[in-house]
Amino acid sequence: MKILVPFKSVADPNNAIVAGAAVSTPKSVINPFDEIAIEEALRIRERGQATESVGVTIGPPAVDEQIRAALAMGVDHAIRIDDSRALDPYAVARILGAVVKREAPYVVIMGKQAVDDDSNQVGQMLAGLLGWPQATFVSKIEFLDNKTRARCTRETDAGLEVVEVNLPAIITADLRLNEPRYVSLPGLIKARRKPIEVLTCDQLGVTVRPLTTVLSIARPPKRAAGTRVESVEELITKLKQEAKVL
Amino acid sequence: MDFAWSDQQRELLDAVGRFASQQLHYDVIENDRDGVFNHEAWKKCGDFGIQGLLVPTDYGGLGTDPLTTVAALERLGYACKDNGLLFSINAHMWTAIIPLVYNGSEAQKKKYLPGLSNGTLIGGNAMSEPNSGSDAFSLTTTAIKKGSRYILNGSKIFVTNGPVADLLVVFATVDKTRGPDGISAFLVEKNSPGMNVGRKLEKMGLRTSPMAEVFFENCDVPEENLLGKEGGGAFLFTRSMTWERGCILASAVGSMQRLLETCIRYANERKQGGQSIGKYQLVASKIVDMKLRVESSRHMLYHYAWLSGHRKAVYLEAAMTKLHISDCWVKCCEDAIQIHGGYGYMTEYEVERELRDAIASKLYSGTSEIQRNIIASMLGL
Repeated sequence: MKILVPFKSVADPNNAIVAGAAVSTPKSVINPFDEIAIEEALRIRERGQATESVGVTIGPPAVDEQIRAALAMGVDHAIRIDDSRALDPYAVARILGAVVKREAPYVVIMGKQAVDDDSNQVGQMLAGLLGWPQATFVSKIEFLDNKTRARCTRETDAGLEVVEVNLPAIITADLRLNEPRYVSLPGLIKARRKPIEVLTCDQLGVTVRPLTTVLSIARPPKRAAGTRVESVEELITKLKQEAKVL
Repeated sequence: MDFAWSDQQRELLDAVGRFASQQLHYDVIENDRDGVFNHEAWKKCGDFGIQGLLVPTDYGGLGTDPLTTVAALERLGYACKDNGLLFSINAHMWTAIIPLVYNGSEAQKKKYLPGLSNGTLIGGNAMSEPNSGSDAFSLTTTAIKKGSRYILNGSKIFVTNGPVADLLVVFATVDKTRGPDGISAFLVEKNSPGMNVGRKLEKMGLRTSPMAEVFFENCDVPEENLLGKEGGGAFLFTRSMTWERGCILASAVGSMQRLLETCIRYANERKQGGQSIGKYQLVASKIVDMKLRVESSRHMLYHYAWLSGHRKAVYLEAAMTKLHISDCWVKCCEDAIQIHGGYGYMTEYEVERELRDAIASKLYSGTSEIQRNIIASMLGL
């Protein structure tokens, strides 16, 4: 009974907080939603509801650092699909589809989206390609009927929605599913002995080419400093004439 | 000379930095005021692997070398503002774990080291007595052998972790006439019959690290709890102190780095007379001094640890490292307060607490005067 956890390496979203005189180099981390998915897989295995957790990511050798972080958290086995192209969600979903067929997990848990491009598509596309059920934005997972079905609580704008899916299925993790553990030093040292399996798209028998191309990335314009107003009347005048919101 | 970290060291140190900034960057003002020891943070450090850094892997530790260990502690000191917690961890590592690693029997190591490594057990030592501080080997606590037991009598003061410790390394003499050669070390567990932990001592700084007096009144210790040989206590204590002097201020180097960055930020933000105060040379000069102190301290620390890891004699280097870093830390704290002006004197700005915490570093593990005596004697004086 295997759980597959696909994860993505992203630029550290907390890096901007590093203040002070020290020069900080850009660092990559596991996409925070995927980290939650990894944590859930580990908890399921620790409860005895799975025998193995397998992590998979796509990227050049540089992402091995995030793979080791996943192994240090406790993932049993890791696969890197060696591909350094800028892939779009459909390409990623097709590669992961091939990995799912090879690994035959009873459930795939992954982050609902990556915090860099915020596409929120891979989980859904993967389910579509495999013809598997999906439960997205999940904040609670319970296995039912000898792990043939899962009851998932979804976070929606209307409130908490509870769905049951037949397994195998794709489940995507929302923020409140759990709080991921931190990597401990014993875990880190154990992870050094766990091998990372490297595969190529050729070996998986998939040919992908991105259907979308990123043309440019720009920072949002800097917010101008605010101004003080003397009275409510002045505020209303400014809101009408300058901001034009009234 | 190679000043670069290996990939494995960097990976480990990055993990420590992340752990400390995410898990140990908590507010300390209230705990300092109320003298509260953070048990939860202690356990987190244990689970993460801090206490077990130097402990061999066979006994539940990580078996890291001294250089990696001090660099890890430096990163803790940078991210964690709770100097008291770090002091407690240091006392635990250098005065309970180190003697066990070097002098413990196989049974003692198996019994205590895993728990001391993973944070479930808290250790410390009991050496100083009301009338024997710097003159440590003049202690008067006695250990008289009766059959298969030792009976301890006497009182100990300034016992770091005393109120929370599960295990203390207690020094007592088996024969006062033998002087230092009579001093022996014993592993005494919490709630041993005849051992009483006194009230928690109120302190100027390091208030989150609990300290107490401990009294022994016919305290019954089984002979298998003798640590090392009878009469081997003085040597064991000296080794423990050498480790402690060399390593205990690793976190202070991190703390100084944090203070330096805080001061740079403040000197750039604070405007007086139409410009940032950092533009005034008298302020800038203080910050330059702070930078020099951090760098010289770090170099001495790493050099000591490198020598220690290569099994060189470090008695002199440990004393110099301790003396230099403690001086630098106190001076950095004074400068940091001065740069912050009146705000630096306010609790809310968290600089005055650093000074209160730092001053103890000139007293523990041998006062600065004792370090100077050691250095002078090693120079042939």
